[in-house]
Amino acid sequence: MIWSFDLLILLFMVICAFFVIQVKDLLGAAIVFGVYSFLMCLLWTEMGAVDVAFTEAAVGAGVSTVLFIAAVHRSSRQVKPRKRWRRPNKAVGLIAAGLLGGVLFYASVDFPDWADPSSPASTHLSPYFITEALADTSVPNLVTAVLADYRSFDTLFETAVIFVAGMAVFMILGQKTKESAQVGIDLTGGYEDTIIRVVSRALVPFMQIFALYVVGHGHHSPGGGFQGGVLLGATFVLLAISFDLKMVLGRMSEKKNLLLANTGVLLYSGIGVLSLLLGANFLDYSILHTLLPSTGPVVARSHAILGVEIGVAITVMAIIILIYTNLSSGGTNEKGL
Amino acid sequence: MLLNIVVITLTGLGLFFFLATTVGILRFPDFYTRMHAAGKGDTISSLLILLGLALYNLHHLSLSTALVSIKIMMILVFFFMASPTATHAIIDAGYESQIEPWHNDEEEQA
Repeated sequence: MIWSFDLLILLFMVICAFFVIQVKDLLGAAIVFGVYSFLMCLLWTEMGAVDVAFTEAAVGAGVSTVLFIAAVHRSSRQVKPRKRWRRPNKAVGLIAAGLLGGVLFYASVDFPDWADPSSPASTHLSPYFITEALADTSVPNLVTAVLADYRSFDTLFETAVIFVAGMAVFMILGQKTKESAQVGIDLTGGYEDTIIRVVSRALVPFMQIFALYVVGHGHHSPGGGFQGGVLLGATFVLLAISFDLKMVLGRMSEKKNLLLANTGVLLYSGIGVLSLLLGANFLDYSILHTLLPSTGPVVARSHAILGVEIGVAITVMAIIILIYTNLSSGGTNEKGL
Repeated sequence: MLLNIVVITLTGLGLFFFLATTVGILRFPDFYTRMHAAGKGDTISSLLILLGLALYNLHHLSLSTALVSIKIMMILVFFFMASPTATHAIIDAGYESQIEPWHNDEEEQA
């Protein structure tokens, strides 16, 4: 019965993906892309990957839609009509995409079946994580243990990727003054609304507490640094939409954001360097029990995972605010969405 | 047994209102009336279904299930505030960009 539900979601996803490409209105395309992300989130929940679904819901369906809309707001909304001479280019693209797709389909035959018990991952790696992770790290949520301890290098560089993405946006847009910024369609016009302001003002503190809970409770439940950081960033984006950019920048100035983005990555890699200095491998947290009073190597790993998650959350939050403020104002930080 | 009846009634009512919302979005003539259906119907149906889930979760009454139910109720409160505000924001944006409300022409002529 459940596979038909999967099939239905996948069918809707293909339809959404098709419409994202075909829709001429870029704002519409951004919204359909949000729907696509939401369907993906449903699919992941259904497959039992709750942490991934949480990230997809927060990043894909939530913040990235807002970032797309902010980008569309600063450029033109309509696609230009196609010229006739570009037809051959289109044919070349179609052939290239078709060939690549064919190769991928051909390669996918060699993949192990989904949840195949005899695949290499299921014979060695997954059983080890399932049986030993709690004893190794005292973290009940296996995803957090794998993400922030066993696969700590991956996560460190994921955080670095987010940091670099934010820096790229800042480098391209951030230096502009008011005159040089190209202003697209103007939707703002001193617009105020009491209901939206009051409600978002009332909800933001609770959202932030929930975000902190997600960061701190990642050991026991779905969540962690990325999800909590995105939620924290989203609260500031909500404030920027319902009030204006000045209000957010008064609380989280660009300088502060840059500093925080650096602090997060530094905290993460600092924990790694600290374990290196104490004589273990890079990011081998168990050695940290010599610094933390009354903890064994196992509990030290659990504590270090929390430290790492906090670092990730700080970076992600700062980068999301940075990208949003720069995208929505074209780098001027003058007037937002 | 009694709990089951209550849960089924709540969830069934929620599904009914979801259906009504969908029909409203498809059948109403213009942006404002459609948003009216979406905002009201979505809120009430989500409230009913979440309430049903929170009660269903209490079948085995213990501290952990009670905590989950309380969390569901908190989502409910959040939804009750956020959903009407979002609808209001969308309708307001439509009003700002000067979408004409629908008029019944026959009524005006009479």
